[in-house]
Amino acid sequence: MSKQNPSYTNPKPCKHLADYKLRHGLTGFKTLQNCLKTTPYGRTSVSKHKSETPRCSLCFGYQGRLYFCLICSSITCSSHANGHSQSHHGHEISVDVERAELYCCVCRDQVYDPDFDRAVVSKHFMDMPSNVNGVEGVVEESNKRRRLGLGLELESKRSKRLISMADRRAKSIFPLGLRGLNNLGNTCFMNSVLQALFHAPPLRNYFLSDRHNRQSCRKRSSDRLCLPCDIDVIFSAVFSGDRTPYSPARFLYSWWQHSENLASYEQQDAHEFFISMLDQIHEKEGKSQNKDKDNRDCQCIAHKAFSGLLRSDVTCTTCGFTSTTYDPCVDISLNLDMSFCPSTGMTNRTTKPNENAIISTLLGCLDLFTRPEKLGPDQKLYCQNCQERRNSLKQMSIRRLPIVLCLHIKRFEHSTIRKMSRKIDQYLQFPFSLDMTPYLSSSIVRNRFGNRIFAFEGDESETCTEFEVFALVTHSGMLESGHYVTYVRVRNQWYKCDDAWITEVDEGVVRASQCYLMYYVQKGFYYKASEDLSCLPMSPPGGESYLPIAGCC
Amino acid sequence: MSAPNEDTMSSQLSSHFFGDLLDSIIVDVASECHRIARLGLDRNLEEEEEELRLSTQARVRVADPSNSGEANSKYVVDIFGQSHPPIASEIFECMNCGRSIMAGRFAPHLEKCMGKGRKARLKATRSSTAAQNRYSRGSPVSSYSPYSNSTSTSRLSNGTPGVGGEEYSNGTFEEP
Repeated sequence: MSKQNPSYTNPKPCKHLADYKLRHGLTGFKTLQNCLKTTPYGRTSVSKHKSETPRCSLCFGYQGRLYFCLICSSITCSSHANGHSQSHHGHEISVDVERAELYCCVCRDQVYDPDFDRAVVSKHFMDMPSNVNGVEGVVEESNKRRRLGLGLELESKRSKRLISMADRRAKSIFPLGLRGLNNLGNTCFMNSVLQALFHAPPLRNYFLSDRHNRQSCRKRSSDRLCLPCDIDVIFSAVFSGDRTPYSPARFLYSWWQHSENLASYEQQDAHEFFISMLDQIHEKEGKSQNKDKDNRDCQCIAHKAFSGLLRSDVTCTTCGFTSTTYDPCVDISLNLDMSFCPSTGMTNRTTKPNENAIISTLLGCLDLFTRPEKLGPDQKLYCQNCQERRNSLKQMSIRRLPIVLCLHIKRFEHSTIRKMSRKIDQYLQFPFSLDMTPYLSSSIVRNRFGNRIFAFEGDESETCTEFEVFALVTHSGMLESGHYVTYVRVRNQWYKCDDAWITEVDEGVVRASQCYLMYYVQKGFYYKASEDLSCLPMSPPGGESYLPIAGCC
Repeated sequence: MSAPNEDTMSSQLSSHFFGDLLDSIIVDVASECHRIARLGLDRNLEEEEEELRLSTQARVRVADPSNSGEANSKYVVDIFGQSHPPIASEIFECMNCGRSIMAGRFAPHLEKCMGKGRKARLKATRSSTAAQNRYSRGSPVSSYSPYSNSTSTSRLSNGTPGVGGEEYSNGTFEEP
């Protein structure tokens, strides 16, 4: 998908609009601002005389689209608008009264101008009650430092990692990093997540360039327990070239020591494990820094790789006052979107969903996640401006994307009536390449104001919005008992990691699988990682040898 | 009789208003789409349709029983030419007690060995609070913000390795 920068293009004006701008500049727009009426839902209309119904000055019709001339303020209907421009020279540009959209009477088409849009959006901001908690005005630091920081740091390190090629069964045609993990007894939830993380470029680069050095860690902290050290051991083992399945026993022991409530021999949830693991890495590595609540600046590898920022807007539907809060996150949990039914081509909300007829798509789930949600009458929130509880709209969006995006599909539903939960096996279609632009806060807020050409907060962000999938954790079976398998994508070949068994699979198998955790990484990191792995060591004849692998392999 | 006329007129009027409202909504959608297209904000529908088509094809192929190249059986050979027993047979020392344990049975051993797990915990204290804590889903994560409204009993559990599709129920827990 082509990416524009910024995420919209300034369309070329028609001759008439260009002429109008030359002759009148912004004065007409500024005057019009006083006639604009805004609603809390983001609609704009032209309302010059509040008590009168707008009517066409030629036929007195009030139906259909009406246009308000920017020069003489007269109103014409769509039948007579063109006539108006012919009889009055220079009166070519008018404004759709109901929608505040520019209209060229000669071209008979809707036209667009950034200055006009800016005037419209400014009117909205003027009319909106000012944000009392002041969060809105906070200017987010540019992402540049953070994004470049991680990449450059790891690459300029140029630490050469010596890898022993002692094991002849290394089968050097296969990339490194592929090694089965033994199931230690109901531990496929753990194996599946580990396999995904082995191929997360920031994590892989971090551990393979020895950024967590076990010796100095032991010297530095008296605490013998260190999950990152055990993770480092596994990374070394998995990338060593030895292909016999590895038993992550030490890791399990270490993880259990830190997680009281999850330490038991029983079937567990992979997502829970993933969160727990990130948390433990942060506990160990992040603690030594500023106790900053906002994980943006946390230097621990878990947050550097996975931490993003979510924005939540709650808008009062009475006065338009919007309260905005930001929350860091290390993943996004998505509800399955059950609305698209391709056979009928219509949304299928009313009838009981037949699981085979409905296709859920990842984009649909993301749309659902960022859709404005009406908070029902029993969920009225207190509006600071109205000073009472009001009906509101809540909308989520992504303020800052992480480097590695983990999408968690909520494949369970609870029935409070029957007091039970069940797993949703609904198939989810997903793309291999994912553009997250429509779900960014800037896009969502822009959409809320009618997609006006305006630099909304976050537009200046330079973070890459294009992602590539590199690992999928899939689940088969029931809520209480099932099996996890991970598919990883290395140099555009998919491999199935089923505990100790690593096999090659066709991408069709991956597309058809039932995803539970989906790991996407920013495109730049994905392609760089592919390059790194292409410098494959070949085992030379005769005995063991050490081969330096430059960079961060 | 004026009543029927009034009825017809009011139903005509309401149809009229409805028609106007509907027209207005249709124009709204047209105007929005026009803007999205002109500003280049539209999604690449062709790509999306292509992806959908690929997925549908893939599912058909996978569902086809003659296509079981994707062997569920654990008696396959991996890409390195190795085969493995269903229960991992590697033997190593338990880091807690020093005993030699078989990999596939390590977790249950470690659970007892470390004094963790349901049985061990219930033995340790019989108070009801202990049982409550055992099912609590209080997220241990400081960095994770539960921004959604879903309840916390949201997990998918895994089973032991076995032939795919076989449900090995072990250690299931009651619904809270």
